[in-house]
Amino acid sequence: MSSQDHYVIIGNGPAGNHAAAVLRKKDKEARVSIISDECIPYYYKPKLTGFITGSVPREDLLVLSLESYARENIRVRLGQKVERVDVDSKTLHFSHMEKIQYTKLVIASGSDSRMLPSMEPYEWALKFVTSYTDVMEYKDQIKNAQEIFIFGGDFVGFKFLRMLDAMGKKVSILIYPHAFWPYNLSDEMLDQVVANLSKTRVQVIVKDDIKDIKGSPGAYRIKTCNGIEKKADLIFSFNGMTPNIDFIKGSGIDYDHGILVDEYLKTTVDDVYACGSCAQIYNPAIKAYTVTIGWPNAVNQGEVAALNLLGDHKVITSVGRKYFDLEGVKIKTTWWKNIEDE
Amino acid sequence: MKEVNIVIEICGSAGEGTISAGEILSRFMSSQGFEIMSFDSYPAEIRGFGKCVAHTRISSNPIYSPGKQADVLISLNDKHSISQLSALKENGVLIYDSQPTKPHQEDNSVAGRANPGTIPYGVPLGMLAQKATGNTRGRNMVALGALSCLFHLDKDAFTESIKARYGKKKQIVIDSNVNSFLEGFNWAKENLKKADAHSFEDVKRPKHKEKLILNGNQLVARAALDANLTFYAGYPITPATKIMEILSKELPRHGGVLLQTEDEIAAIGAVIGAGFGGKRAMTGTSGPGFALMTEFTGLSVMAEVPAVIINSQRGGPSTGMPTKTEQSDFNAALFSGTGDCPRVVLAPTDTKSCYDATVLALYIAEKYQTLVVLLLDFFLSNSIKNIDVPRKPAKKYLNANIAPKADELKDYKRYRFTKNGISPRSIPGTPGGVFFATGLEHDEYGRPNYSETGHLAMTQKRFDKYRSVLSEAPKPQMVISEQGEYDIGVISWGSSAGAAHEAVMTARKEGINAASFSSVMLSPFPESAMIEFSHTCKKILIPELNFSGQFADFAAGILKRPVEKLNFITGRPMASEDILQKMREM
Repeated sequence: MSSQDHYVIIGNGPAGNHAAAVLRKKDKEARVSIISDECIPYYYKPKLTGFITGSVPREDLLVLSLESYARENIRVRLGQKVERVDVDSKTLHFSHMEKIQYTKLVIASGSDSRMLPSMEPYEWALKFVTSYTDVMEYKDQIKNAQEIFIFGGDFVGFKFLRMLDAMGKKVSILIYPHAFWPYNLSDEMLDQVVANLSKTRVQVIVKDDIKDIKGSPGAYRIKTCNGIEKKADLIFSFNGMTPNIDFIKGSGIDYDHGILVDEYLKTTVDDVYACGSCAQIYNPAIKAYTVTIGWPNAVNQGEVAALNLLGDHKVITSVGRKYFDLEGVKIKTTWWKNIEDE
Repeated sequence: MKEVNIVIEICGSAGEGTISAGEILSRFMSSQGFEIMSFDSYPAEIRGFGKCVAHTRISSNPIYSPGKQADVLISLNDKHSISQLSALKENGVLIYDSQPTKPHQEDNSVAGRANPGTIPYGVPLGMLAQKATGNTRGRNMVALGALSCLFHLDKDAFTESIKARYGKKKQIVIDSNVNSFLEGFNWAKENLKKADAHSFEDVKRPKHKEKLILNGNQLVARAALDANLTFYAGYPITPATKIMEILSKELPRHGGVLLQTEDEIAAIGAVIGAGFGGKRAMTGTSGPGFALMTEFTGLSVMAEVPAVIINSQRGGPSTGMPTKTEQSDFNAALFSGTGDCPRVVLAPTDTKSCYDATVLALYIAEKYQTLVVLLLDFFLSNSIKNIDVPRKPAKKYLNANIAPKADELKDYKRYRFTKNGISPRSIPGTPGGVFFATGLEHDEYGRPNYSETGHLAMTQKRFDKYRSVLSEAPKPQMVISEQGEYDIGVISWGSSAGAAHEAVMTARKEGINAASFSSVMLSPFPESAMIEFSHTCKKILIPELNFSGQFADFAAGILKRPVEKLNFITGRPMASEDILQKMREM
């Protein structure tokens, strides 16, 4: 590789950082840049709930310090959002109107909160917790709130719910069957989740839906289709994640739910790779695309994408935990289809 | 209750409203009850689009120094602001124009070059200003609007502050600025997600009475007027020109005269002439002008004529760095010129003391019939602080000439030997008070006399008088504790004193046993007070803004012990953070 190469990684999570580490290790001369629209260096998302309660200080959230990037000669562009990719000229366009060139690109932009179409009228009232930025915005509000309403569920949502319960908040949750989209909770699973939650102070609402939300922060009034009325200081929505790929739309890189990549994590455009939860990976065994979640998957994919970008020919395999535990119920880790079961 | 201590910098190009935005911010914050200190830096060249920075520190508590690193950088110009990023704290906030007129190439954008950890807020400054007013001139106000929203500042009060700032302008100017501000505020409210922890909501505000927001030059001019200055002569020079500008308007209203001379030599000549005529007279200059004035300073001392020179120091030598601050004229102020030429030198330590020191300078010059140099610097001259309304000078400071009694005029000896060296001075026109005044050595009548004994006696008289000035010295400023013994004693002077005192206060909170000492009077120096202080300190640290440690060498000579020097010639004011760091290392 020549020293003129500029490997750019969009995304500062486990996939992006492991891709960067491999690229630096294998090519000492090239420029390596990581871009993230968040302002914080690489951090443990699973620890965000602890950060909200105050049990995890900010420094313990961090996986890597800024000094470690400097030591590795990896440039980190934090708080910078890529708005558009021009694959013909290999140019990234930022929202702050800067243009930079890449030689090869790794997209590891992760995923964002999913907004259910039925909830769009209430977007003004809903809060989402998917990132450090979200947490910074809501941390004090959560501390000051007495009553909190959660809509949906999903893995993060239930962890959040447990945290609020431990903080002594009065919490109500409307478990939405499609919270784990596209994986639906079976009635049996739902009953088990409700049974387990009944041991807490959380008020659980099931087989119902939002009919109306009125009010303002600190004084929301929620009505359900079954006539239940609730008051809340804050309303949070946890309805799964959706790949964060808006910036590649129109670029020529193919996408479906996520960015379509082959088993080598290469996109449909030369010199552009994708990995982590923003990628929809082709599985030749089932002749279908799947999206994965979970930290180990992201790490593995980041490393494989980097190796292949440098000329290797590694096929990705699903790794990591097969199941997540949701209130005592085991949920499979892949989204659309589970590779191992097919 | 929360306390706030924040430094906000606005960086732009000359003509982009950078300095005026900073001024508006400072005035508004002061009106909200906060302590403020602000300092602008701008290019020396009058023409062009050089870099301007308006630096403002805002605090719930008293402020002694401007703060080294900024918590917030508002960028009105990417190119200039990129070079200002090094002054932004690691987790600082950056507010920048997210919709420039054309895209930036790689690394030409301040947002792109921001240090990792910076919290950026992109605001379409130009676009919003255009929307509000039809042109982009209001970008600075849009930025203040966004800042106001992000940091929870009172929008209505801020709007009133802007209206007050432009109160004398046409309505369209007021409306343009207010509308731009509101556009920025509303846009930020709709579009920005708060990601930093700064907030002015529910923070402690010191309760204070009416405050004046002035810089050192303004206070010097105000003090001079309050102390009955009647004549000012000068030649414009940065950073002292503002004093002359103010006095050119105000002095005639007070019955005085301002003379713009052809050069600095003429200015000091005219001041000595006015002083001889019994008028309170003053001139102001900077290093290059002070060098020229040296030609005349000896006359003031030899002929015992009151004269006050303000030397607002800037980077030197020669024409040096006109818009950068430095404390490198210490030696020139105390020792320039020929012969044994004792002169009084006062160096205010903060904005407020510019007032008191000016009153004292005019008083000492008149009472002791001698030259007084008032040593300011670019930072003191230009930094703005909100201060209590100064107390008008006491009566004794307004008329200090010791006139001859009637019986003394029967055989009037203008330079009569006295115990303290002060000879009663007749003002020209006083019947019987005619005398010779000359730069030549002279006898008690003022007649030239070069005798061995005469020269010795007259020199002794001038030095006796000089030493007796010490009784007028303001009490040294000290930060000490009941312990009475310290590991580190910080001795400072001039504008570095505030930073030194602040550093010592912070150091003590960290467990460093330290104390500080500074004196406004540099010549004659209160030596015994400094020696006494030094005896309580194991190590002595002397921070100052010059290369060689001019004051440190002077102080070491008095203390007769080694001192640790800390010197900067960055053109920026002394930072308490740097002194603190040095103390940690000692």
